[in-house]
Amino acid sequence: MASRYDRAITVFSPDGHLFQVEYAQEAVKKGSTAVGIRGTNIVVLGVEKKSVAKLQDERTVRKICALDDHVCMAFAGLTADARVVINRARVECQSHKLTVEDPVTVEYITRFIATLKQKYTQSNGRRPFGISALIVGFDDDGIPRLYQTDPSGTYHAWKANAIGRSAKTVREFLEKNYTEDVIANDNEAIKLAIRALLEVVQSGGKNIELAIIRRNQPLKMFSAKEIELQVTEIEKEKEEAERKKSKKSM
Amino acid sequence: MAATFFGEVVKAPCRAGTEDEDEEEEGRRETPEDREVRRQLARKREVRLLRRQTKTSLEVSLLEKYPCSKFIIAIGNNAVAFLSSFVMNSGVWEEVGCAKLWNEWCRTTDAIHLSPAEAFCVFYHLKSNPSVFGSCPRKNMQITILTSRHVTDYKTSESTGSLPSPFLKALKTQNFKDPVCCSLLEQPNIVHDLPAAVLSYCQVWKIPAVLYLCYTDVMKLDLITVEAFKPILSSRTLKGLVKNIPQSTEILKKLMTTNEIQSNIYT
Repeated sequence: MASRYDRAITVFSPDGHLFQVEYAQEAVKKGSTAVGIRGTNIVVLGVEKKSVAKLQDERTVRKICALDDHVCMAFAGLTADARVVINRARVECQSHKLTVEDPVTVEYITRFIATLKQKYTQSNGRRPFGISALIVGFDDDGIPRLYQTDPSGTYHAWKANAIGRSAKTVREFLEKNYTEDVIANDNEAIKLAIRALLEVVQSGGKNIELAIIRRNQPLKMFSAKEIELQVTEIEKEKEEAERKKSKKSM
Repeated sequence: MAATFFGEVVKAPCRAGTEDEDEEEEGRRETPEDREVRRQLARKREVRLLRRQTKTSLEVSLLEKYPCSKFIIAIGNNAVAFLSSFVMNSGVWEEVGCAKLWNEWCRTTDAIHLSPAEAFCVFYHLKSNPSVFGSCPRKNMQITILTSRHVTDYKTSESTGSLPSPFLKALKTQNFKDPVCCSLLEQPNIVHDLPAAVLSYCQVWKIPAVLYLCYTDVMKLDLITVEAFKPILSSRTLKGLVKNIPQSTEILKKLMTTNEIQSNIYT
C-alpha cells in the first residue's frame, strides 16, 4: 500500500499517513545525536560532533548555530536543509527586531520555523525538510525555554529532549536522571547533558560539542579543553559511585 | 510504470507492440555468437575457492579434511565486525581460504583477476580447536548465522518510533534444541537473501541452525548495532570461544574509526 501513496507529497494514504513526512523523520535519525536541557538558570545544548575529514576545516561543520544573541538551535538530519532553515530564521529574527523593536521570543521563532516546515508538507512538488531542531534561549521575562520541531511542522516545549541517532536511548537516560535538584545547579545541568551524550557517543569527550546560555548572557561555546575537564570529572564521579556500591555489597 | 499527477502509480500500456508469435520464433533462434557469450558468462560466474596468500585454488576435498562441529557465518558489515572483534580476537584463527564469485551486478569488470581484497567470503578456523569450521554438512554440526536488517523492514502493529532499536530476533531450525538468546521472530516478518538460503538448507538437511537477526536503524558500521549482538556471547556455541571482552570493545572502537565513511549529507 505504501508504494502507491508515497511518490507525491500532497497525497494522503487510505489510512491517513503522509508517508513522505514519515520518511523525512527517518532522515533525521541519520544525523548524529543532539541533546537539549532546560535548567532553572541555564539552557544547555550538546551535540555529537561528526568526525571531520583530514583536509576539512572544522569550523565549517557546525551543528549548533546562533539564531540571535539570545536564541540558538541544534539540528539533526540533512545538512543542506538545515542551512536553509537557519538562514530564514536568522533573517526573521532581525526583521522582527527592526519592525517591532523587540527581540523575538523563543516561542515566536520556533513557531516561525515550524510553520515554514509545515508549508513544505502541503506544497505541490516540494518535499518536507529533513531536519528536527532543538531551539533554546531566554525570553525577556527571564524564563528559560526549550522547544523541539520535527519535519511535520509540529513543535512542543520540553524540559529535556534528544534528537538524531539513538535519540530514544538518550531520552530514556534523561527521563531517569532529570531531577529538579540537578537542573537547579548550572554545573549539574551541563554534566547531565554530557553524561546523556556519553551514553551513545562513540569515542568519548573529544566528539562532543557543547553550548550554554545563561540568563542575560550571550551564547557560550565550550572549548575542547573545558569539555575534557567536565568528562574527567564525570568519570571520577562514576568511579566513586562504583566504589561506594562495591563497599556496600561487601 | 509511470507516476500520475495525483501520486498514484499506474502501469503504462506497452506501445512497442503486442507479443506476436512471429516475434517469439525469431527470438528463439540462437546464433553461435549467443552461445559463446553465454558460455563465457557461465565461466565468469563460477564460484572459485582459493587460498588468498598463494592465490592457488583450494580443492573442495581439502576443505572436507577439516571436520566441523560449529560453523558460524556473519553476513553484513555489523555482523562481521562483531565476529572479528569479539570472537576472532580470542584465540588464534587461521585463514583457510576464501570464496570469490562474480555476477552481472558486480562493479568490477575483470572477473578473472580479482584482487585479494575482493573476496566475498573468507573461511577461518581456530588453530587450537580445528573442529570449529568445515564446509560439508556433518553429524553433530551446529550452525550460527548473524546478520542485520533495517528496522523499517520489521512489520509490527506498534509504531516504529517506539521500537527499542537496535534489537535482536532469532529464527531456528527444527533440530536446534538449545535455548536462544533473544525472542523469536514473529509473523509476518520473513528473512531474505543468504541467511534465508542457509537456514532453509539446514532445515531441509536436518542440521541444527539458528539465525540471529539484528534490526537496526543504522545500516553502516555502527558501535551500538554491533553491541546489540552481545547477548549471543552467552550462547552455548560462542561461550567457549570468547575470552577477552574489554579488549574486544577496544578492537571494535578501532575498527569503527578506521572504517568511518565521510559523508556530509547528514549532520
